[in-house]
Amino acid sequence: MVGAGLAGVRACASLRAQGYSGALTVVSDEAHLPYDRPPLTKQVVAGTLTEADIRLAGADDFGARWIRGTAAAGLDRDRRRVRLADGTELPYDGLVLATGAQARPWPGEVPPGGVLAVRGLDDVRRLRAAVDGGARDVVVVGAGFVGVELASSLSGLGLGIRVTLVEPLDGPLRALGGTVSGIVAAAARRAGVGLRLGTGVRGFRSDGERVTGAVLSDGTVLPAELVVVAIGMTPATGWLRGSGLSLVSGRVHCDERLFARTGGGAGASDPRIVVAGDVALCDAVCSPEGPVALEHWSNAAAQGELAGSNLLAGPGPAEPYEHVPSFWTSAFGLRIKSVGLPGTGDRAVVEAGDPATDAVVEAHYRGDRLVGAVTVNRGGLLTAYARRLRETRPAAPAA
Amino acid sequence: MRITVDHDLCDGLGQCALVAPEVFELDDDERLMVAPDPAPGLAPRVAAAARACPVRAITVEGA
Repeated sequence: MVGAGLAGVRACASLRAQGYSGALTVVSDEAHLPYDRPPLTKQVVAGTLTEADIRLAGADDFGARWIRGTAAAGLDRDRRRVRLADGTELPYDGLVLATGAQARPWPGEVPPGGVLAVRGLDDVRRLRAAVDGGARDVVVVGAGFVGVELASSLSGLGLGIRVTLVEPLDGPLRALGGTVSGIVAAAARRAGVGLRLGTGVRGFRSDGERVTGAVLSDGTVLPAELVVVAIGMTPATGWLRGSGLSLVSGRVHCDERLFARTGGGAGASDPRIVVAGDVALCDAVCSPEGPVALEHWSNAAAQGELAGSNLLAGPGPAEPYEHVPSFWTSAFGLRIKSVGLPGTGDRAVVEAGDPATDAVVEAHYRGDRLVGAVTVNRGGLLTAYARRLRETRPAAPAA
Repeated sequence: MRITVDHDLCDGLGQCALVAPEVFELDDDERLMVAPDPAPGLAPRVAAAARACPVRAITVEGA
């Protein structure tokens, strides 16, 4: 098991639940025991959940050997060995790739202090330390899910933190399409968050040690004692280069049953390697343009579970991945949820509620076909859309 | 099958309702409602719904 996030933990649990009693080794580049990520940007920043509250597994779980704080560095599929950063080689009969992703780093120079990206527990500790150390002018770069959640959490701390959210697109959470972005923008403004939309950050000012400001595309300088870079994630697959596995947009391409595809001819997969979570690009999750990457909790949980049982079963009896994608976030008092792949639609239709009241149900269609739905504060209505998506799912190609 | 929901933990995320809509439902205020006495045949789905809960608020006995 390479990776000990949610997908890895669920794969371990699944292997044991299916009766696997052999040796199990879990490798993680993090020193921490496995923990849950969604609360990091919300309850953990807010201080309403502790680090112990979000633990997913203990060191005694799964009868596994845990190797923590050491990254995987290479994969030799012919010899069936994973090489670790310290040179250790681990032989395997079956391998689960669940290395997840890293926060995408700022592509330019950053001052030594005061600029951070948030992906893991250590990042949130640094963020809290900066705030507890008195940082009050905060610039969040990127108004995707992580940026919006952090802007909401920081502005809601009651510490008088002045948060500015900078986003090159014309609104926050544009990935959800439709009217949701406008609802979130209005709620952010009501919460006192400054929005700088349609503009990017081109660099930072510093006193030589710590950041003092963020320079926008138009030259405006926003004062900043803390800058949070939230510009997406990079799949952690650098160590798989040269392994012969098919990497697409940095992700491990896998078939409908989660077996890793190889570069060796059309349709070929490695029967000993399964993939789960943020690192996976799965053929079973697709739009007409091809497979769609999912970076959501429910996907990591469901894929981890299936990866474990499919690895044990082998490619023949393995079951296809049939999960309807689902996602949730909350920010500025709004509860936002989605099912399906709303971003792959070509039109959004408000089917219940009213964007002006912060309660809306929006369906996303591609032509006449439902591809997803998004709700704000009306999540109870998503179930019916999930059912429609399940019933109208295009048949998976024959294996 | 006995289903227990810890309503202090439940955050109305509704993942259970997506997995087992016959048993779990969110009301208009996104509060979770659980159907009493689900059919025994639903046990595997109810167990899957409990595993799908991000805050581990659902426990199932006798499934």
